[in-house]
Amino acid sequence: MQFKYGGYTGQVLEVDLSRGKVVGNPLDPLLAREYLGGAGFCSRVLYDEIGPKTRPLGPENVLVIATGPLTGTLFPQASRHVVAAKSPLTGIWGEAHAAGHWGAELKFAGFDAIIVRGRSPRPVYLWIENGQAKIKNARRLWGCDVYETDAMIKEEFGDGSIKLLYIGQAGENLVRFAAVMNDLDRAAARTGMGAVMGSKRLKAVAVRGSRDIPIAKPESYLKLMDELREKMLADPFTQGRADYGTPSLVELMNEIGRLPTRNFQTGVFEHAEAIGGKTIRKRYLVKPRADFACIQRCGRYTCVPEGPYAYIGGSPEYETLSCVGSKCGIGDVEAILYAHHLCNRYGMDTCSFGGTLAWAMECYEKGIITKDDTGGLDLSWGNHASMVELVHMVARRKGFGNILAEGSYHAARKVGRGAEEYVMCIKKQEIAGQDGRAQKSMGLGNATAARGADHLYAFPVLDEVGFEKAIRERFGAKYLPEIGEKLNPKYKGLMVKECEDFAVVVESVGVCKYGTMIPPTFFYSDILRALNATTGMRLTERELRRIGERIVNLNRMFNVREGIARRDDTLPERLLKEPAPDGPPKGHVVELDQMLDEYYRLRGWDVKTGLPTRGKLRALGLEFTVKDLPRRKVAR
Amino acid sequence: MPYLYGDPLKCTGCRICELYCSLCHERVLNPKKARLRVVRMEPAIDKPIACRQCADPPCAKVCPTNAIARNAAADMVAVDEAKCIGCGTCVEACPFGAIWLHPERKVAIKCDLCGACVPRCPVGALSIVTGEQFANRRRAELIARLKPIMLERVRVPRD
Repeated sequence: MQFKYGGYTGQVLEVDLSRGKVVGNPLDPLLAREYLGGAGFCSRVLYDEIGPKTRPLGPENVLVIATGPLTGTLFPQASRHVVAAKSPLTGIWGEAHAAGHWGAELKFAGFDAIIVRGRSPRPVYLWIENGQAKIKNARRLWGCDVYETDAMIKEEFGDGSIKLLYIGQAGENLVRFAAVMNDLDRAAARTGMGAVMGSKRLKAVAVRGSRDIPIAKPESYLKLMDELREKMLADPFTQGRADYGTPSLVELMNEIGRLPTRNFQTGVFEHAEAIGGKTIRKRYLVKPRADFACIQRCGRYTCVPEGPYAYIGGSPEYETLSCVGSKCGIGDVEAILYAHHLCNRYGMDTCSFGGTLAWAMECYEKGIITKDDTGGLDLSWGNHASMVELVHMVARRKGFGNILAEGSYHAARKVGRGAEEYVMCIKKQEIAGQDGRAQKSMGLGNATAARGADHLYAFPVLDEVGFEKAIRERFGAKYLPEIGEKLNPKYKGLMVKECEDFAVVVESVGVCKYGTMIPPTFFYSDILRALNATTGMRLTERELRRIGERIVNLNRMFNVREGIARRDDTLPERLLKEPAPDGPPKGHVVELDQMLDEYYRLRGWDVKTGLPTRGKLRALGLEFTVKDLPRRKVAR
Repeated sequence: MPYLYGDPLKCTGCRICELYCSLCHERVLNPKKARLRVVRMEPAIDKPIACRQCADPPCAKVCPTNAIARNAAADMVAVDEAKCIGCGTCVEACPFGAIWLHPERKVAIKCDLCGACVPRCPVGALSIVTGEQFANRRRAELIARLKPIMLERVRVPRD
């Protein structure tokens, strides 16, 4: 039977690994209308199913993998899926996103989302084809890395066109920042979703399908997609993305002093050029490699042809170059490329791996961690041989790697001796490649993000290099020029609030933040038109904006239920008290409190506690969460 | 004899062509209903595959119901769906894997040179060319590479 709306398959696969049962259930059309899909779908399912008593690595945690109504369609860059569960790294809301070809294929195989419950007694993987699913034995796959698993399953079926999502050894070994990988080099990296999948003993999800994604209005759809494609291609940003991908941000971030270097001691790195986009393009680029229906093609293949770091495979993004590179003082680009490749094979988040290593390196510099702790490894800044060795050790939880596998927050508590002081985490997750002192909106966005340190939840980038026209359109001309000044805290509460609301809509429909957040090509009106032509939902822009706000508030309530409040929306002391020493932000700290006040006020949350108010929750249709507000501290 | 050519050096493997093809032919999004396929092979190979519109098409030769034939007027190989029994013999005969069965209607489908995908490829990897045009293009590319060398030996006015 066909679903009420186009764009969706209308089926959700529910898997109970403890009992070995799979069942396809119809998607609730009301859920689709109120939360769209992707991140929004996950937020509602997990709010209802898990809570404070859920242990992230216990069988009671629920892992949701969801696509959006635009995933697998012709909207530019609509290749995204979302993986969510309670996070073993942060203990709160966990969510990670990836592109690739897997999400689209899941829909062609007949499902919008997969909900995984329980824990299998033995390693298994899921096989999904045209509305049918089977749990299959994964004993021979257990212990294999992502590349090996990919090859083995494709060989088993004799079909190289099967699309796969999987974990590597890091997920099996419950590394707290293990990633869920797909299509070899695509990572739903953050918050340790790979460890949750590993705890369920689910090695992989293989999909193949020949079902339709129906389109509500095929005639106007074709015209609209032609229009959007032309708009995307005409953006001057597109060619730059195609030529360099995100690595070119290394040079840009270094210029504005936002490139975290030596565990955020500074935002300017002397070897930035050596690890930047130009170097990689000139010496290592094989070709741009697009994800499904992606016009911008920032994904790419790189090759180090010879030497100890020889490999061919996916290319690192800016965040990896920053976290594994500058943050650890490493200027050897081949070592970074290789470490990135290894992290992908093991299935591990490069942001948290690099962040944890940078913490250890600073502790080593300060004499808190010595060779006695590391098993003889020299952790001086820039020691790339130790860094590469530690990728293996962390993924396999060997020696000192077993401590780093806990993430820097937990590792510092184990080490003690004042190591906590150098942890650059927010809500226990390592900050990626963003020094908020150089861009105040990033500082605030990291502090308020639902999944702990996260540059992507709000992804406020329009003040980075002056997108004045887009700023005027999106926030209003009356806030200029202050809102566009990256070192000025003024109006950044507004910017972050608006960006968060829009970004969760983007993640819920299954679209990439490139093309929506930066370059700011598509905004609500474009997504709305595409959504209505695809689904036939006849949403208004007001409703779409309200959906964004609803999802942000629901994520917040998930965290409030876990005890999160204003005191947790903070940054490491270093960013609040130590002025940036170099570059344009020299002398700056993050003026967090004043930005937070503005942010909470605009959110309609209690400024003192950072808790959503009953009125706000009711207005957004989140009545069912009101009971979870702390009794005594509830604001009017 | 024109055919749809996909340049593997330009193709990024995004498969937008497959989506547009299924949308234009079937009014749905479904790569398995597309008349061309992009093959991705590691490491780093992406190649669009479509019917070559052969002069002496093996698919037509083996078709037991004569559903496939070269259409001289349209200058291409065409499938008569009314005659097709969905036996798949043509699938086995095609040396390129460029013809297959529709997943639901079970009739042979292949590129009909409608050209919907060509202008919509974001990297311009697709074109409809004849062998003559293709070879012309190759010759021109080669000569363009040799041009600076040859110009050194020819007296022409320089800016």
